[in-house]
Amino acid sequence: MDKKILIITGDNLGLSKEQIDYPDVEILKYPVVVDGKEYRESNEYTAQWLNEKFLKEKVVAKTASIIKGELVEIVEKNKDKYDLIIHVVMSSVMSAATFAIANSVKEMYKNTIPIINIDSRQVMAGVGNVLLGVIDIIKKNNNMDDIVKLSQEVVQNTFSYFVMADLNYLYRGGRIGKAKALMGSVLHIIPILGLMGDDKEGQFVPLGKKRTFKQVNSQIIKLIKAKMAEKPATLIKRLNIVGFGDNKDAFSDLEEKLKTIPCNDFIIGKADFAAAVHCGPKSYTVSMTI
Amino acid sequence: MIQTENRTAVIREKIENIYKYLHRHKEYINRLNVFPVPDGDTGLNMTLTIQGALANMQNYEKESISTGEYLKNFAEQMLLNSRGCSGVILSLYCQGIAQVIENNDFSNDNLLKAFENGYKNAYEGTEDPKEGTMLTLMREFKDKYGEIMKEEDDPSVIIKKCIPHLKEVLKKTPDMLLVLKQAGVVDSGGAGFLIILQGINRELKLNGIAVGSLPVSIILNINRATKKYLNGKFANFTKNSIEALLPNIDIAQVHNLRLHNIFEDVKHFINNLQRNGNNFLNKKAIINDLEDMKNSWNPEIKLKYCTEFILETNKISSKEQIKEIIGGYGDSLIILNSGDKYKVHIHTDKPESVFKDVSKYGELIFTKVDDMKKQHKNLISNDTIDYEREKSVFCLVSGKGFADILKNLGADDVFCYGKNKPSVERIVKELNRLKTKNIIVAADDKDILMALKYAASLSKSNVHIVESNNVISLISMVMNISKELDITTTLESVMNSLNDIRFCGIARAVRDTTTENGKKVNKKDFFTIYNGKIILSDKNLATLIINTIKKLVKDESLISIYKGIPAKKDQNLNLIPKLKKSFPDYEFEEYYGGQYQYNYYITFE
Repeated sequence: MDKKILIITGDNLGLSKEQIDYPDVEILKYPVVVDGKEYRESNEYTAQWLNEKFLKEKVVAKTASIIKGELVEIVEKNKDKYDLIIHVVMSSVMSAATFAIANSVKEMYKNTIPIINIDSRQVMAGVGNVLLGVIDIIKKNNNMDDIVKLSQEVVQNTFSYFVMADLNYLYRGGRIGKAKALMGSVLHIIPILGLMGDDKEGQFVPLGKKRTFKQVNSQIIKLIKAKMAEKPATLIKRLNIVGFGDNKDAFSDLEEKLKTIPCNDFIIGKADFAAAVHCGPKSYTVSMTI
Repeated sequence: MIQTENRTAVIREKIENIYKYLHRHKEYINRLNVFPVPDGDTGLNMTLTIQGALANMQNYEKESISTGEYLKNFAEQMLLNSRGCSGVILSLYCQGIAQVIENNDFSNDNLLKAFENGYKNAYEGTEDPKEGTMLTLMREFKDKYGEIMKEEDDPSVIIKKCIPHLKEVLKKTPDMLLVLKQAGVVDSGGAGFLIILQGINRELKLNGIAVGSLPVSIILNINRATKKYLNGKFANFTKNSIEALLPNIDIAQVHNLRLHNIFEDVKHFINNLQRNGNNFLNKKAIINDLEDMKNSWNPEIKLKYCTEFILETNKISSKEQIKEIIGGYGDSLIILNSGDKYKVHIHTDKPESVFKDVSKYGELIFTKVDDMKKQHKNLISNDTIDYEREKSVFCLVSGKGFADILKNLGADDVFCYGKNKPSVERIVKELNRLKTKNIIVAADDKDILMALKYAASLSKSNVHIVESNNVISLISMVMNISKELDITTTLESVMNSLNDIRFCGIARAVRDTTTENGKKVNKKDFFTIYNGKIILSDKNLATLIINTIKKLVKDESLISIYKGIPAKKDQNLNLIPKLKKSFPDYEFEEYYGGQYQYNYYITFE
């Protein structure tokens, strides 16, 4: 018998709902607090809106974990309509609270409906890639053990590269990790950070620093090719590239360069409101699953 | 029940305390290191092994794992981070223990099984196991533990009661391994193992002990002085001269066993001399003993490099296969296996060949090569350096501004030598000051290269020279350094990136000269030097810089200007706004370099 499966995820996944080829998806919105006032993503409050606020008004922004009540509401609403719920959660290293909430809700409903919490170990486009990878799995297989095992493979084979022109945003959010080594340079540098699915620590790691966006993009291509050689893989299953619209030349340059690498599914994703808090202006990212 | 995060935090804290206890005794252990090679790094290797594992444990501290599982992960990290013979054997021991207590059973019976398995794993993993080493102490520990266990239930009390016995065993190691006896020391790895047990004992709220020793160089100096005393002009002892010598030596404080015994012999010799007037009695034997002891600290080191690597492979299925591939290159081969990773230690003269051969079977994810001859020279020298770091990227630069830029970009150490190029002596001093085993060094001036090469041969570290000849290549080099990489990979990456940034220098002529095209450059005119040639000149500095950029810029987007000391006079030049106006499609950045020769360096990126 086919299982009816609901997928839940948060709205920092680098994808719009239309880009998710699965009907049963619920997306939780992360709260964003700007100068003490809480916002949720909407047509008005977007990543671009926040980046403009950063530049013009020097506002201070932060994110909060998902609200437990909102997750409970989704589960409560759907528990009788589905046989299984899969919650694709942002990296537990980046938000331990969100993952803890997901686990406590799973525990609450353990006698009602099975819930699988998948720690994507990613943020932004990386979460989106894991989500799409999980959807690929459940379209072919609905055995719970298989889903858990195969999803783990997707997580371990998902690698994200971030270009953040100003690391202070990430630093203020407390998520800088080992990339702190790239801060405080006298010379203006553009850092490249990574969230590597096969890295046990799951923190941002410094992958290099360059002086121009063109150099950064060339370096990202080198890093992607090196990762493909290491795995080894000749074809990328999925690439999701996300920018905030304020660094178009650099973004287009990366897009063109990425198109030279064989890839099954090339996505230009959506910039998330919550992600903008930690990335700051002129940032962009690419996530690949191999 | 302790919550998971609290529990793992408690275990981590205890391991950190044991590590700190070992670290405090690092130098003592280093000074005992005579076997298999007297390269004075046993203490360092043991501490680095635990330090490396601790640094990689953060991820496990957030997971819901038991103490047994935590220790299993810790042992695995020890294996992957192990350094030197001692670190590898210690890791094997811990791996063996962890394999048993992974089930979280800390009963006495299971602990004994764990200690037995730890010993077995370490012994079988060592290519040519010797008695009188830490393996002996590991065996004695499990035997004694089993013995005391019959009368005592509390594991912490049993460990405490094992320690006096192990101290006795450690004292006997020189009787088991001749080279220890000749050098007058107990085994360094064994001492390290005992200190770790004492650290565990302390963590279990029991007592530790203090240890102390003289540096090897002082022991050898005392040896030399005593021999000179017996051989030289003081050989015809008078009562007064004897009295002058002896009160200055507190024999009880001489921890080197052989020197201690020699002093006892000297004392008997003097007593005999005083009683019988026979100054030849035993003198020759004592001198031979002194000579023999000195030689034991100066063996012929046949294989120069302590070489280690981690190979990730799915083409090799046993340690034997690795032994077949590289066994012929040297000795002291130790191979550890964890999943698809093999950690290998070997003493060889051909580390590059070892790496080349094994890399055919998989990916080398870590390599390390230590020059044991150099480390030995450091150990026995009068100004021994206690290495505190594994590696450093070290830059020698003239300009203070560039020194700050390089330091902030990630150079571990920078020496700003100012206007006058540093002497060999000064470079040696700076290299030794770093207290680092492996140094990648580069200077901003090719005229320093000769001095640097000579200084490298005199320094106490393994120095890898990057033959750079300008400060911009140093920036390029440091931009491409990753702290995560091992020394070999770092060096390779540095060499490949040296010429990544195109640049030119702007200076003022101190005499009449010509450009590469034969155009005259008058004294006091400004000129542009690019790739070692004068390509342009002009009386007006701003005009020259604009012409230079027009001539040299290609498809770059960022032009950076580094001001030197001579440019201080150009305050009113208002250079950047002029350049932005002339080249609106380019970004300009201006920094203070502080170089002495050039008014400006201009880079194109």
